[in-house]
Amino acid sequence: MEAFKQKFVEEATEQINDLEEALLQLDKNKEDMDTIESIFRVMHSLKGGSAMFGFEKIDKFTHILENIYDRIRNHELKVTPEILDLTFQAVDHLRKLLDETPENEQQLEQENKLFIERIEKALNEKTTPEHASIQDEPTEGKTKTYFVRFVPNEDIMQNGTNPLFLLEDLSQLGTSLIVPNISKIPDFNSLDPAKTYTSWNILLSTNAGINAVIDVFIFVDDEAKIETHKISDYNLLQDKAIKNILKDTLQQKPHIKPSEIHDLIIDLENIYQEKEEKQVKDESRKKVEHSISSIRVSSDKLDNLINWVSELVTIQAQLSLFNKENNYPGLDPIAEEIEKISRRLRDDVFSIRLIPIANMVTRFQRLVRELSNELGKEVDFITKGTETELDKNIIEMLIDPVMHIIRNSLDHGIEDSAQARIDAGKAQKGSITLNAFYSGTYVYIQIIDDGKGLDHEKLRQKAIEKEIITEDTQITEKEIFDLVFTSGFSTAKEVTNLSGRGVGMDVVKQKISELRGEVELTSKKGKGTTVTIKLPLTLSIIDGLLVRIAKTKFVIPLAAVQKIYEFTHKEIEESINNLFLADDKRVPFIYLRDALNIEGTPPEIERIVNVEFQETFMGLTVDEIIGEYQAVLKPLGRMYKDVDIVSGATILGDGTVALVLDPNRLINEYTNKENIGG
Amino acid sequence: MDAQTQTNKKNVSDQVHTYLSFRLGKEVFAASVNHVVNILELKPITKVPHAPEYMSGVINLRGQVLPVIDMRIKFGMTPTEPTVDTCIIVLNLEIENEEVKLGILVDAVSEVLELEENQIEPSPSIGTKYKAEFIKGMWKKDESFIMLLNLDLIFTRDEIVVVEEKTNEADMPQNEETGE
Repeated sequence: MEAFKQKFVEEATEQINDLEEALLQLDKNKEDMDTIESIFRVMHSLKGGSAMFGFEKIDKFTHILENIYDRIRNHELKVTPEILDLTFQAVDHLRKLLDETPENEQQLEQENKLFIERIEKALNEKTTPEHASIQDEPTEGKTKTYFVRFVPNEDIMQNGTNPLFLLEDLSQLGTSLIVPNISKIPDFNSLDPAKTYTSWNILLSTNAGINAVIDVFIFVDDEAKIETHKISDYNLLQDKAIKNILKDTLQQKPHIKPSEIHDLIIDLENIYQEKEEKQVKDESRKKVEHSISSIRVSSDKLDNLINWVSELVTIQAQLSLFNKENNYPGLDPIAEEIEKISRRLRDDVFSIRLIPIANMVTRFQRLVRELSNELGKEVDFITKGTETELDKNIIEMLIDPVMHIIRNSLDHGIEDSAQARIDAGKAQKGSITLNAFYSGTYVYIQIIDDGKGLDHEKLRQKAIEKEIITEDTQITEKEIFDLVFTSGFSTAKEVTNLSGRGVGMDVVKQKISELRGEVELTSKKGKGTTVTIKLPLTLSIIDGLLVRIAKTKFVIPLAAVQKIYEFTHKEIEESINNLFLADDKRVPFIYLRDALNIEGTPPEIERIVNVEFQETFMGLTVDEIIGEYQAVLKPLGRMYKDVDIVSGATILGDGTVALVLDPNRLINEYTNKENIGG
Repeated sequence: MDAQTQTNKKNVSDQVHTYLSFRLGKEVFAASVNHVVNILELKPITKVPHAPEYMSGVINLRGQVLPVIDMRIKFGMTPTEPTVDTCIIVLNLEIENEEVKLGILVDAVSEVLELEENQIEPSPSIGTKYKAEFIKGMWKKDESFIMLLNLDLIFTRDEIVVVEEKTNEADMPQNEETGE
């Protein structure tokens, strides 16, 4: 029973998260019936589950919540900000109830009672149904489908009209299916780019009425031929199958007559009506199908899987090496095949652990919603690229730092009053954007606000005040912004209870470096601030350059490697100030053999690997470059916790261990030593 | 006295402790087999730069990276010179509530000892050069003593050597290799 309970708690936590997400959506569009429906469903299943597993309080509580949303569903009640706020608080309360322990049972009981009373009160106030609101609700019956043929004249663009904008206006009226007819486009040589050759057939399902449709084209009446017909009293485009049939028809017959469409539509309408009846039955079935498309697996099992795959990759490297050294006939294709398969297996297994960033975004939306209310600032939270995927562990460890950055943006970034924004020539409503994207083997996450921005002169003064730099320190803008991440450097004039509680951006930076990531801040005074976080795709595999010094092999992360140069040992020995010539720039280098205390005689010709970290270049001398290597990163463990220039180890094909160097730490350590020495 | 009452109460098998003995230089030590995972032949060890001298480096133990410690240096002797008898004993220890696997480099593995509780003598507070807290007890074999080690404690401390004081026979090897 305990195990089932545990399962329920796990599932309920997920359902509560879904609920929260749906609520945020409802907050944006208070009349979205689909969302209301899904909120109702979540509450219903929560109620069912909690009753079954003896979570009485949740049962009672969700029962009342469910009632509210049932009434909203039936148009007896309207979604108001108060109801939303109440539901948001209810979500938090539900989370607490899930965590119930014998110790806090009494207290929760009390809280539960109070909460239920509040809800009941709220309900009684609103019992009178507000029919007024229902009227503008887009209801199924009123949505009709229209056929529009839009044939612009060839020179429509010369009058400054962009036909695509018209199409966009049109599609905003409702659901649309736009099929271009490109049959008139001449071959490339006789094509005049200033002319328009395309015409469009459009099907539009909207509740706006035919006049609204005609109005879209009101200014291009004599620049284009426009036909508009009502073809159905139903929302035909809602049904995927019908939509596809229509799409195919329009693509095959671009010059179809409206009457032909009409005939087709009558057939389709019959299908639609049948389908609608069936839909109720389908819905329950779909749910079953949906639940099978994903399986819940404990993350321990995934971790194990990843360990095994890592071992497989290592063994495979051994096999490839063995094959290269001993030429057994027939072994070659097998080794190659195994290499291929293990590579694919590795990619797939690692991708299992990747989850989209969208998973953490809900919390941020909630945070922005609550904080902006609290601070009385109007702020939009915009997210882009939330489908970008990252290792689950990374995402979990990323939540706190990102939370902190967003909090900072809201608290210090966005102007205190709408008036201040209007005076600065900005939209009244502030915006905070979370933008995620891939670049190479990295994922970038940016938090962009359009607020006050940072004044770098002020930052400089402050740094001088705090004795981090002196009056005459030469410091670039970028370095000034980096100061924000120094500990004890909080830019807020007064400490508010939101951000600036002593822990600051330095903690953010530290947390992100723990993930082998980097964080950077750029800002324009008056325009806003952007914080960029750069993270490796996964923590467990890196592309590296395998090098050798004496007998020891090292891996340098390929992402840091710029270029490799060759020098004789004599040249290196005689170089002044440990500088080497990289193309035509003088770049300092670290003589790794000495820096790492490796014994032996250096070879006559040595290589310098030029690595870059945050715009600092540094050469690393090695005896030999062996080649590229996919390194499965293994931790060195607690015994070596003080060795920070090595970020881990990896096992090579011959079974020996190579060390993975951390160029960032190497550069830092080296430059610090230099500073002390100089 | 306490040991005596226990002997009467409990089975004899309960009292038997099994130890693996190994040799460092001329001295013989023993570790409880509860800690021992397995014994490996010496294989190439990758030295980790900027680590203390007694930490020989890391090896590959079936896909895991295993730190290896030169027990001779830990016990104040010269660094291990590899011979055919040199072995790595893989141990599973609990260090500060964390399970840690590590290998120790020894000159030779001797034998498995089955000792009864009452055969183990308390470690003398004087007469050895090792700090008493690292030695759980001694067992007298023929004319020599085998020292039973308190392994968890040895590796908990970040101290480099286990010896009490610099003695004349323990030549500290720290500066031997860092030259040039």
